[in-house]
Amino acid sequence: MAVTAVSGVAEGRRPIPRLRKLEDERWLAMVLLFPTALLLGLFIAYPFFEGVVLSLTNQRVGVPGHFVGLDNFVKVWNDSIFRTTVWNTFWYTGITTVFKLALGLWLAMLLNRHFKGKALVRAFILLPFIIPTVLSTFAWKWMFDPTFSVINWTLFQLGFITQRINWLGDPDLAMTSIIVVNIWRGVPFFAISLLAGLQTISPELNEAAAIDGARPWNRFWYVTWPLLLPVTMVVMLFSVIQTFADFQLVYVMTGGGPANATHLFATYAYQLGIGTGLLSEGAAISLAMFPFLFLIVVVQLLYIRRVETR
Amino acid sequence: MNTKRRSVIKLAGSAAAVASTGMAGILASGRTPAFAQQKTVHWLKWVDFVPATDQMFSKEMMPAAEKALGIKIKLETVNGNDLQPRITSAIQSGAGPDLIMSFNSYTHLYSNSVVDLSDLAEDVGKREGGLYKYARAICSDGKMFMGMPWAVIGGMIAYRKSWLAEVGATSFPDTWETYREVAKKMKAKGRPFGQTLGHTFGDAPGFTYPYLWSWGGKEVEADGKTVVLNTKATVDSVKFMTALWKEGMDEGGLAWDDTNNNRAFLSQTISATLNGASIYIESLRKPDQYKTEKGAPLNTDILHAPLPKGPAGQFGFHLLQSNMLMKYSKNQDAAKEFLKYLHTEANYRKFFESQKGFATPCTAKWESDKLWDVDPVMTPYKVAAKLGQAPGFAGPPNAKAQEGLSKYIITDMYAKAVQGMPAEDSVKWAESELKKIYSA
Amino acid sequence: MIEGALWRKWVFYNIPLILFVFVLLFPFYWMIITTFRPDGELYRPWNASNYMPFWTNNPTFEHIQYLFEETNFARWMFNTMFIAVVSTIISLFCGVLAGYALARLNFPYAGSLGTVIFVTYLVPQTLLFIPLAQIIRNFELGDTPWSLILTYPTFLIPFCTWLMMGYFKAIPKELEECARIDGASRWKAMLYIVIPVAVPGILSSGIIAFTLSWNEFIYALVFLSSPDQKTVPVGVTSELIRGDVFFWGPLMAGALLGSIPVAIVYSFFVEHYVSGLTGSVKG
Repeated sequence: MAVTAVSGVAEGRRPIPRLRKLEDERWLAMVLLFPTALLLGLFIAYPFFEGVVLSLTNQRVGVPGHFVGLDNFVKVWNDSIFRTTVWNTFWYTGITTVFKLALGLWLAMLLNRHFKGKALVRAFILLPFIIPTVLSTFAWKWMFDPTFSVINWTLFQLGFITQRINWLGDPDLAMTSIIVVNIWRGVPFFAISLLAGLQTISPELNEAAAIDGARPWNRFWYVTWPLLLPVTMVVMLFSVIQTFADFQLVYVMTGGGPANATHLFATYAYQLGIGTGLLSEGAAISLAMFPFLFLIVVVQLLYIRRVETR
Repeated sequence: MNTKRRSVIKLAGSAAAVASTGMAGILASGRTPAFAQQKTVHWLKWVDFVPATDQMFSKEMMPAAEKALGIKIKLETVNGNDLQPRITSAIQSGAGPDLIMSFNSYTHLYSNSVVDLSDLAEDVGKREGGLYKYARAICSDGKMFMGMPWAVIGGMIAYRKSWLAEVGATSFPDTWETYREVAKKMKAKGRPFGQTLGHTFGDAPGFTYPYLWSWGGKEVEADGKTVVLNTKATVDSVKFMTALWKEGMDEGGLAWDDTNNNRAFLSQTISATLNGASIYIESLRKPDQYKTEKGAPLNTDILHAPLPKGPAGQFGFHLLQSNMLMKYSKNQDAAKEFLKYLHTEANYRKFFESQKGFATPCTAKWESDKLWDVDPVMTPYKVAAKLGQAPGFAGPPNAKAQEGLSKYIITDMYAKAVQGMPAEDSVKWAESELKKIYSA
Repeated sequence: MIEGALWRKWVFYNIPLILFVFVLLFPFYWMIITTFRPDGELYRPWNASNYMPFWTNNPTFEHIQYLFEETNFARWMFNTMFIAVVSTIISLFCGVLAGYALARLNFPYAGSLGTVIFVTYLVPQTLLFIPLAQIIRNFELGDTPWSLILTYPTFLIPFCTWLMMGYFKAIPKELEECARIDGASRWKAMLYIVIPVAVPGILSSGIIAFTLSWNEFIYALVFLSSPDQKTVPVGVTSELIRGDVFFWGPLMAGALLGSIPVAIVYSFFVEHYVSGLTGSVKG
């Protein structure tokens, strides 16, 4: 590329260099964005489109099938397991997000001081988030095992229980168990991100409020929280998407059971599509995630924008 | 562009930088590099519940087969529950194992994606005294053999002789009423019966289907189309199960997979469970690890019995295993040769004997084999293949029956009731689910 | 009242902190202990007496041995590493370029393109895996590491782009303009001035991408088949949960050893990871 001496100062030039600059930038932008566009187009846009088409057919594994319109969606809507799945996913996402936020915030505030070993602690507590979900979930599954649970052992030794707690066999407890593991995994992410947010808040603000006589809770609610909101919203956005579309955790812990009590969209789509081979129905369930996700994302984005422009 | 990539790589400091330039070429061509090919046959089977068999396969038979047939053999084992997803992924991605073990009527589900094995099946059947009806119904749809029948895993109740004797049961209860009474007494002593009602491929259907049939319930009529699940017999069976569960069973069973009952029995927290013979065989394998509370080896206290009778008779659903040769395979001839090799009498016998009666062959001549007399505890298993009845009863064990099985409808019917749903409702639910399948 | 303050400090700060750290780290301790406990000690029911779950006096390597001898664990580690490294490189490459373009260049639709890239991040893998399997088959990539190397960037690139955008925006424009005045082309300015300054950002993106790649599961589960092609999460899940025989020892060993590479890489770049994570959230 020729060296173009372009700068705002040399104005008296012919318009051609500026034109070249414009083309230059557009051309450069296209070149720079090309690899990204190629990969994303090929492996996100194209499969998304294919997925929509697939969900409108009655394809099964090995059987191409034909177009059936919205039949799959109707079938899925009438499926009581699907309805349980929808409820499960919303409940799972809602509860875990609330707790992750609360506990993450608490932990962030605990870390927002100076103490010996702070860097070490900060590094260590991110481990649950770093380690591959599947592997750490296995540790939990072993801890919840019906016969060999170490948690049961501890509670038994402390005299809290006499009957074994059926962590993974009772439908409500199973849901509680996966919620616990999800919270365990997500709290560090919330904590570290919120900590960064907290650290940008100048301590003088809080001090000023204290001098004015505000009590701790009010200080938090009226000073800290609004300043923390932008960061919180973004963190929640990421977290909600991941949790709503979660697969690994449930697959390893319960496989969707007992009796479908912990099935989420992703695990049910997998069971139906890949397990039983009913590809089109599986695709329909996967796609059913999209409107909900889209809605959640739009709402949160709007909220973020409102908060930021306040 | 190349300059850009290389400097980014340098920046990222990755050790794979050297490899990546070679890969750049591959990426550009968009094809995977072709490696030198020796004929390889990839056989995917379940992890055998008798570890000795898998050991025998990988350490002796596979090397012997490789030498005899001049091919390379890749033996892969996965958890039984993962077989079906693997089959789907393989067919969907057009690549995977050449031979895949299938359970029950998977053969019907994947009939479009497998190679016809009639010649091998008929051949072996003729040689070995005839193929059992059960195996034929499951592996063939009348036009082709979708799978080569391999073996039947019989399911019997394994129980603790001495414990049952303590509550006055000198033999295993043979009706559901007496089963319930004994279970109640055992649970009161902290030693309930144990059964899974979870989504498992083996123990759950192995219990729930014959249970349903023994009460007179069934999924469809013989025409294979009319769903008749919602009958008084079925509802009664569900009500009985709910009571039985609370009174006599280990309630953790809702979360169990196919291995939990084994572990529970071997760590002596339950007194009886339906299972293949793996519990007994495992206790034989490690007599020092498994001892009764009196110090005797556990295996001396274990006996087997068939499932109890119900008002409509006594039934058993035994898992049928077959091997499918996949259409996408690029080594079909070699795979077929390998399959033939496995079924030669000498080799199949090696398999049969390593199983010690855990697996029952699908042809008649093995029923009178002397292996069954070696250990009287195992003798009940020899008729598993002859007497088995398949899901989809009273219709044929075809793709629709398999779909019902894969969706755990019957098992869930009982699981839901046990968790509090009224019996009538759970039966209605199950029937509507079945109707959706059979009317499609 | 110094005593009072100390009491407060303990109750309100130190004890909760200790509790948090304990709960967050206990499962890893459990993983480690289980890996080294012999089978005989491992399988004691929860209400058995004479059971000391938190320590063992007979540590053993038999589970790790089993892991390496009876499964392709070493191969899985290699596969996962290879896939993670190459996907990270590809994603960084695309992400840096795209981030620069979106942050620095003026061209029509810049804003909306940024949004589009962000939106693709919201299309989870669990939505795409079924149709994607078919596409992988059409490209004949099934059961090869390339099926993952080419698809992982789909969720790594948006993240990297976003992160790099933030870093690029923070680099003062003057830096580039000086270079341009001195005669460098836009291209060279980007290459030799801006990017080197953004190295911390690149490192951060790289680390996060690396850990995200190790964490992926469903694509690996569906696209890979042969035992020697599997990644660690898939291998551990499918080949260590077996029939009726107890395998929790090797399973925890696999989980432990599988976590170590990520933990090590992370430990070298903690600062970058944290700043990357928080940067993405603030930006």
